[in-house]
Amino acid sequence: MAALARKTLIYEWRKFLPAALAVAFSGLLLLMMTALMLGIFSSAGVYVSRSGGDLWAGYPGTQSVELGRPIPRDTEMWLRMDPAVAQVEPFQWLDGDWRGPVERGGVSVFVSGISPDADGMMFAHVLGARERALLVEPGSVIVDAADVDKLGVGIGDTATLNGRHVKIIAAVPGLRALGGVNIVTSLATAHWLNTDAADRDKVAYYIVRLQPGADVEAARDRLTLLGAAHRFAVWTSERFAYNAASYWMFETGAGLGFVFLAVIVLVVGVVITSQTLFAAVASAVREYAMLNALGAGLSALRRVILEQAFWVGMVGVAIGSALSIAIMLLAAGQDVPIVFNALAAVSCAVLVMSIALISGLLAAGVINHLEPANLLR
Amino acid sequence: MPALIAEAISKTYTSGPVQTRVLQDISLSLEPRELTLVLGPSGSGKSTLLAILSGLLKPDSGRVSALGEDLWKKSRVDLERFRLEHTGFVFQGFNLFPALTALEQVMLPLEYLGLPRHAARNRAMASLEEVGLFSRANFRPIELSGGEKQRIAIARALAKKPQFLFADEPTSALDSVNGKNVIDALHRIARSFGATVVCVSHDTRLAADADRIIAMEDGRILGDEAGGGRRAPLAAVTTGGVA
Repeated sequence: MAALARKTLIYEWRKFLPAALAVAFSGLLLLMMTALMLGIFSSAGVYVSRSGGDLWAGYPGTQSVELGRPIPRDTEMWLRMDPAVAQVEPFQWLDGDWRGPVERGGVSVFVSGISPDADGMMFAHVLGARERALLVEPGSVIVDAADVDKLGVGIGDTATLNGRHVKIIAAVPGLRALGGVNIVTSLATAHWLNTDAADRDKVAYYIVRLQPGADVEAARDRLTLLGAAHRFAVWTSERFAYNAASYWMFETGAGLGFVFLAVIVLVVGVVITSQTLFAAVASAVREYAMLNALGAGLSALRRVILEQAFWVGMVGVAIGSALSIAIMLLAAGQDVPIVFNALAAVSCAVLVMSIALISGLLAAGVINHLEPANLLR
Repeated sequence: MPALIAEAISKTYTSGPVQTRVLQDISLSLEPRELTLVLGPSGSGKSTLLAILSGLLKPDSGRVSALGEDLWKKSRVDLERFRLEHTGFVFQGFNLFPALTALEQVMLPLEYLGLPRHAARNRAMASLEEVGLFSRANFRPIELSGGEKQRIAIARALAKKPQFLFADEPTSALDSVNGKNVIDALHRIARSFGATVVCVSHDTRLAADADRIIAMEDGRILGDEAGGGRRAPLAAVTTGGVA
C-alpha cells in the first residue's frame, strides 16, 4: 500500500511532475524574496555590520544609521571615562550632493567620515590598512565598486562633492547601503565637506571598543545612564544593526509588502499544486474506488495520496534548492544584494512542504466522494 | 443454507423531478458453490441489484443478509471490513493500477487485509497460477491483453479467498475465447472455493456455464431457472434451493 504511492509516482512521474514543479517554483520564489529582503534590509545595517567595535553612541532614539543627528563633542569624554572602554572613535555622517561628469547630473550621496588609522574600527571589515592610509590625503574618497558606473567616474578621477573637489582613490565591494550611494572619506575630509557651519564640529556617532573580556551589556547599561544626562544614547552593535534592519522592515511598509507577497506566493502555490495533484489523483479514481470496493478503508486510501503529496513536496524542495543555488551563484556574481542563511532556507523548505501537504489534503478530498457502486454500470 | 439472502429490496433513483424505480420488491437467496448469472437488458436493474447484494449501494427498503449478518445495519467502516474479509469483485473495466505488476495488483488487497508480505506474495502467486497467468506475474497492465487483464482482476478478487464474488459484465470487453476462459474461472471459483458467485451480464452465451440463471427486466425478476453449468462435469454440484 505504501508501495502503491511510490510506485505510482515513479511510473507516472509525468503526471506528478507539474505538481513538483509548482512546489519547486513556489519555494524558489519564497526563498529569493526572503534572500532579497534580508539582503536589502541588512544593507541598512551595513555601517554597523561591516565595522568593529562593541558599542555605538548616537543621538537618542536613532532608528537607523542614516537617520543619525549630530551629538555633543563632549560625548567622547564621557565614554572614555568608563573603565571598560578601550577605544573611542568618531564616525561622521552627512548628506552630500555629488556632481560627476556634466551629462550625469547630480546624485544624492551619504558621506561617511572615518578614522584613517590602521586600527580604525569603522568599516574595518571592508577597508584594509592600505586603503585607510590612502584616505589621509585630503579630499580623497573611496566608493563602492558597484556604484562606480552610477557616479560616472573611475578610480583616479575627480568629482565635485558639496561644492568641493574630491578624488576617487579606490573602489571596494561591500560599502553599498540601502537608500543611497555611500562615499567613504577621512574624518578630516568629512569635516571639510560639511557645509553646515553649526554642526561642523559635531559628529553623528562614536564607536566604542571595550577592554577584552569586558561585560558588553553592563557597559552599555552604565553608559546609557550617563547618556541620559548628556543627550546621547548607547546601543550594542548587534542591537543597532538589528534596529536598522527592523526599522526598514516594519516601519517603512517594505516589510509588510514582503509578508503580503509571501502570503500570495503561498496561496498561489497551494492552488496550483493542489489542482495538478488533484488531476493526477483523479485519473486513478476508478482504481481507488475498486480498492474501496475490495474493502480498503477511505483513510488508508487518503494516506496513499498524502504520501504522494509528501514525495511531490520532497522532489519539489530538491528541484527548488538546486535552482536556488544556481540563482544565488548567479546573483552573487552580479552584486545583487541577497543574503542567504540556513534559517531562511529551512523556513522556506518547511513552508513549501506545507504547501505540498495542504495540497495533498485538498486532493485527498477526491477520496471522500468515492462511490464504488458507480463502477457497476 | 443460503449464504446471501435479499428480502423485499427496492431502489429508486431521483434525477431532478424524475423518479425511476430500478428495483421493485426483490427477494432472492443465493447458495454457496454456485455461479448465478443475472441476465437482462440494460436498464433492467441487474447492476443495481449486484451493488446492493455486494454491500456497495444501500437499498431504499428491504434487507440483505450475508453470512447471517444484516449488511445495511453496518457502519461504512464495518461494511468496508466485511467486504475486505469476505467479498471479491470483478468489474467491466479492469481497474488495474498502471504502475503495478500483475503480482503487485493481486497482492495489494492482501496487504490491506494485513497479511505478511511473504504470505501475500505466495497467495498472490497461487492466484495467478489459478487463472493461468503465473508466467505474467511481473508484467504491467500495458504489457497485457484485455483477456489477461480481466484474469488479473479475477486473481485479485480470488486471492482473498472470498465467500462472495461479484462480477459485473466481466466478458463484455473480451472476445469469445477469452470470455469463455473468464467464465470458466468464475465457475471454478464457485466449485473449488465454495464461494457464492454472482455474475451480471447481458451476454446470453454465458448461460451455458451458469448453475442458475435469473432473468430481469424493469426492476423485477422474470425468470429463475437452472443453467447449463449444472450439467457440466466440472465438480460435484451442490444443488441449492431456488428462491
